[in-house]
Amino acid sequence: MNTTYQTANSSRKGAMAASNHILVIDDDPDICKLIADFFQKNDFQVTISNDSKGLQEILERHKIDLIVLDLLLPDEDGLVVCRNLRSRSNIPVIILSSRGEEMDRIIGLEMGADDYLPKPFHPRELLARIKSVLRRSRSLPEEAGSPDDSNARYRFAGWSLDVPTRQLFAPSGEKIFLSGGEFALLRVLLSHPNKVLTRDQLLTLSHGREIEPYDRTIDMQISRLRKRLRDDPKSPEFIKTVRSLGYVFSIRVERIDSKP
Amino acid sequence: METKVKLRITIDKDLADIVPGYLENREKDVILLPQAIRENDFDSLKMIGHRMKGSGAGYGFQQISDIGNRMEQAATIQDLDTIRDCLDQLIDYLRKVEVVYE
Repeated sequence: MNTTYQTANSSRKGAMAASNHILVIDDDPDICKLIADFFQKNDFQVTISNDSKGLQEILERHKIDLIVLDLLLPDEDGLVVCRNLRSRSNIPVIILSSRGEEMDRIIGLEMGADDYLPKPFHPRELLARIKSVLRRSRSLPEEAGSPDDSNARYRFAGWSLDVPTRQLFAPSGEKIFLSGGEFALLRVLLSHPNKVLTRDQLLTLSHGREIEPYDRTIDMQISRLRKRLRDDPKSPEFIKTVRSLGYVFSIRVERIDSKP
Repeated sequence: METKVKLRITIDKDLADIVPGYLENREKDVILLPQAIRENDFDSLKMIGHRMKGSGAGYGFQQISDIGNRMEQAATIQDLDTIRDCLDQLIDYLRKVEVVYE
């Protein structure tokens, strides 16, 4: 069963059109109630599903901007749901879990989740993370002096990344799905070819936040990006590791700007 | 001896609409738990503990999360004495808690 809640201000003219629509998949009614109520008050539209069965139907019926996914679902492991979702969609995913294991967090991010929040969580923290993920999934934060590439297409070694549609194409023409975080990171790398970027710079430019101690977000996303680009991690052709510093995109990149 | 000491918890006023319902659901747990204990229904005990752990602090009740965490772990190893102690703690907490919204 799934239920859709409108925003608290949905009667306000234009509010619905402007609001973000999040899908929460969690079997705990108290968690669903907490998220639905809090997010409606913050002008989100919320659809609740207590299992993963109706996921495809919900995605066909609604334009979902972000999915909040619990790992312990009654019908399927949330990690499997995340992996399947990522294979066919680039809707941002935030994993919630009270399993609390470090390995769950790492696997969740490797399965393509954009962020991970352990339970229990304060709804304000979830709101902040959702806003951050939505922000970076739509566009990179503006940086003084950085060229606007919002209408550009990048080409490298037969591959192409179309920024407006956020689509990556392999040399064969095959479309490769990217998570919001992966897209943002690849875009940053392509806009700074042959320039070493530190993990801190990559995190700030792609995620809009500063690195925290022991933060492996960038390393994990680089690993996933290499897989998407079929780049051998032992001897990468595209994204090279610069020991103790960061990463460099070491292939010639062509940028094609089209008029908006 | 019954204590009349109240435990004042300050909670975000944005949650004022849903906190009473959350506490009512914990009162329902207090009714369900003794039956699950009598029936050695460790799956249900584990699930109730797991949910309390995952939701309590989100509503502002860190102690409910702590009790739930302990209950879930006790249910995993089928430790009924600890589970009964968790139930007593939950009853005591619900009796004492007084919510202030800010």
